[in-house]
Amino acid sequence: MRAYLLACLAIVVVGAGGYFLLNAVQQPSGTAFATDGARISPNWAWRAPSTATPPTASCDPRKSWQWFFVDLGSPEGESATCSISQ
Amino acid sequence: MIRLRLVIAAIAVVLLAAGMTQVGAQQPSSVDPNASAVQEQQLLQQLNRIQGLGSIPDTRSYVIEQPMGRVWRQFHEVWLRWIGGGIIFGVVALMTMFFLIRGRVRIAGGLSGRTVVRFTSFERFTHWMTATSFVILAVTGLNITFGKELVLPLIGAAAFSRWSIMAKYAHDFSSFPFVFGVATLFVMWIKDNFPTAADIQWFKDGGGMIGDKHVPAWKFNGGQKLQFWLACLCTIAAAGSGLFLLFPFYLTNIFGMQIAQGIHALTAVGFVGLILAHIYIGSVGMEGGFHAMATGEVDLNWIKQHHSLWLEQEFGQGRTAPPPAGATTRPAS
Repeated sequence: MRAYLLACLAIVVVGAGGYFLLNAVQQPSGTAFATDGARISPNWAWRAPSTATPPTASCDPRKSWQWFFVDLGSPEGESATCSISQ
Repeated sequence: MIRLRLVIAAIAVVLLAAGMTQVGAQQPSSVDPNASAVQEQQLLQQLNRIQGLGSIPDTRSYVIEQPMGRVWRQFHEVWLRWIGGGIIFGVVALMTMFFLIRGRVRIAGGLSGRTVVRFTSFERFTHWMTATSFVILAVTGLNITFGKELVLPLIGAAAFSRWSIMAKYAHDFSSFPFVFGVATLFVMWIKDNFPTAADIQWFKDGGGMIGDKHVPAWKFNGGQKLQFWLACLCTIAAAGSGLFLLFPFYLTNIFGMQIAQGIHALTAVGFVGLILAHIYIGSVGMEGGFHAMATGEVDLNWIKQHHSLWLEQEFGQGRTAPPPAGATTRPAS
């Protein structure tokens, strides 16, 4: 049992190491495949529903832990559309 | 009078226009609505892809359509489900049939009460780290292939979406301890997994699974060695192709991504089938099998029955464990 519990702990530790490694190396697809030089409105990238007004304020990309726990709620001061689009 | 003529003329023009519209609607259109699609298809066949222009740096994103995409979709949405389902249900059906016909492989002499250390704490730790990671990888990976058909109708779109996002991240992160675990097991156990003459005999005798013959084996028998090498090969294929998927388009183009996904998926379902068989024989299929990896110790009669050559080797080195507290020592029959 002790070996199993230690194994579970190791999975968490090594998995967390993988999280930090990937976080350092990978980029969000919105950043990796985009450029500031594009002649399109940045708001285009935020896939707002057709009924909603595109966000005028900038949307902060969600962090990996927010994705992992599916915590995509609206931070204070941010348009609700940002949460929908992410 | 002039005004009246103008009104009549206007009415006549309106009626004529209305009539032409009606006639036009009844006659077949001269424009084939599928013409653009036909041209697109011709374009696809001639150039092998439909490519546009873009303003973002990644020029590979300009490819809108390519024939292999359809093949990949057919593979991912149809063939893979049949192959994966066939392998998994096939193995489960085989194991069930085997269990019903053969029953559990019992310890022929019963428990002796004396135990031998088979796996050290570190070996069990590494095994369970690898095994638990594998279960996470298998469940979350199978969700990608079968989830849309099996899980989505049960829990609904919102819950499935949340579960799938979490599953995707769990899959990514648990791959690290899994690969680390397999690499450690490889280094630890490779010396015991080289084929020997005893393994050939083991296979010839059906591994003692068919009939009641006790087939001599070293620390690992022929079946375990086969599983060891297959697991290592599957890990190399799954981890290698998984790297391509973790870093999309960094190492290859869209064709390479499709190939990587295909290799990853096929390896994974084969790996799941292999491990299902391993779980069967290590639990319900064989008495004492689970105990070996749970406590690290096995009964003397169990080791005599399944790994007699290794027992002789270990006894030669004096590596035995005392009987557990309260256990009675019975001679082997």
